[in-house]
Amino acid sequence: MKKIGFFLGCNIPFNRPDVEYSARYLLNELGYEIVELEGATCCPAFGTMPSLDLVGWAAASAWNLSIAEEKGVDIITGCGSCYGSLNEARYHMEKHPEIKEQVNKILAKVGKEYKGTTKVWNFINFLYEEVGLDNLKSKIKYNLNGLKCAVQTGCHNLWPSRAYPTNEENTFYPTRLREICEAMGGVAPHYSTITDCCGMGALRSTASEKSLALFKKKLDVIKEEVDPDVNVMGCSSCLLQFDAGQALLVEQKKLDYKIPAIHIVQLAAIAMGADVEKATAMASIPLNGVITKIKGGN
Amino acid sequence: MEEGGVNVIDLTQADESFIKELVELGAEELRECIQCGKCASTCPMALAGLEFFIKRIIHAANLGLRDVLLEDSSVWGCQSCNRCVEICPMDVKPYEVIQAVRRAAMKVESCPANTYEGLRNLYRFGHAVYPKGYEERRKKVGLPEKPPTAISFDELRKKYQEVLKQTILEEIAPFPLD
Repeated sequence: MKKIGFFLGCNIPFNRPDVEYSARYLLNELGYEIVELEGATCCPAFGTMPSLDLVGWAAASAWNLSIAEEKGVDIITGCGSCYGSLNEARYHMEKHPEIKEQVNKILAKVGKEYKGTTKVWNFINFLYEEVGLDNLKSKIKYNLNGLKCAVQTGCHNLWPSRAYPTNEENTFYPTRLREICEAMGGVAPHYSTITDCCGMGALRSTASEKSLALFKKKLDVIKEEVDPDVNVMGCSSCLLQFDAGQALLVEQKKLDYKIPAIHIVQLAAIAMGADVEKATAMASIPLNGVITKIKGGN
Repeated sequence: MEEGGVNVIDLTQADESFIKELVELGAEELRECIQCGKCASTCPMALAGLEFFIKRIIHAANLGLRDVLLEDSSVWGCQSCNRCVEICPMDVKPYEVIQAVRRAAMKVESCPANTYEGLRNLYRFGHAVYPKGYEERRKKVGLPEKPPTAISFDELRKKYQEVLKQTILEEIAPFPLD
């Protein structure tokens, strides 16, 4: 059985454990043994150590990477920030041996070492490249039955491509998440603001109203051009904005429609027969219509 | 700074040493910027309407406007999305300029309060985001109350804290690292 280290991060285990449940279900269904990365921490988030110092950032990331190295596994994460921070720290250490050296001096004091042997995946690239679309298709129990999906890959899953082991052919015209949805029986058209930022993260913390206005601008284009049954996320931070953030806009009477949001691991897990209650337990915008469409199609 | 960004550039405020400081803090290609504006064309800060977005931040950085940059909170609204790094024709790596400004600001404690909250959580719990009530949420989906991260392993968390203590956090943190 193939093994994979599941890097949880913060938002998935603490705010959206339904995504964690779904990711675990999905990886098991795909035939992977999940290796727990005991003692793993925050990636670290960009507003923390990366905003203090490059060596401190690299050391905090290398702590996490070394846990996977000790267990001899690659890492997978459902959070774009984790994917970005871990891969960027790794990139800086590989590009600048002196940083790697300083990091290892720090890690040595707690009996650890960073070697650089572990690859960091996100679920989009993992499903697309490692699992493969045909294989994914063969594991589906409930076809998506023409479910219309508007996809949101997420910034950190795309850029900076210099730091990533694999990526879209054109990062400003991403297709992988669309192809994954379509392989499972969905319809996932391109739309003009597909790479626009959702506004979650530092912008939401620093300028909340502007962040939500930026998000609404994107959502309005999605509604007009795609009018989807569901928004499908490649990143857990985007999920927070598309779900709870959208519910907040409705509550504030700044939005007069609702489009449910789901992380790709939730959608794929449900298509493979996961417990729907558990897989969608934390959704602010109900996913009933989406589930009915999927389950009604079989 | 006046509302609306840097409306009048006062070159008497220019501080060459600040440019050098930013270069040392990671903005190595800062001086290559030609102010073409490609970064601004993709920057979420610009699209969201923050007055002081990436192109203007780099402009101010290249003029050495230390006070302007350290007093404005815009750099903390940056999403770290790296679109600017991807698109910059001069390979300035604009996001690294943002990080350098943040690093300079941290040294003089000129950052939003929630930055310290994130750092404090990171140090104490191993998680920058550590919301209350998560145990109930996890139980609802049939997962153990605590995830198998540093929050579940006291010894490992202490080791992680030892790692952080050897970084610049030890000098900067306005809270005790104990």
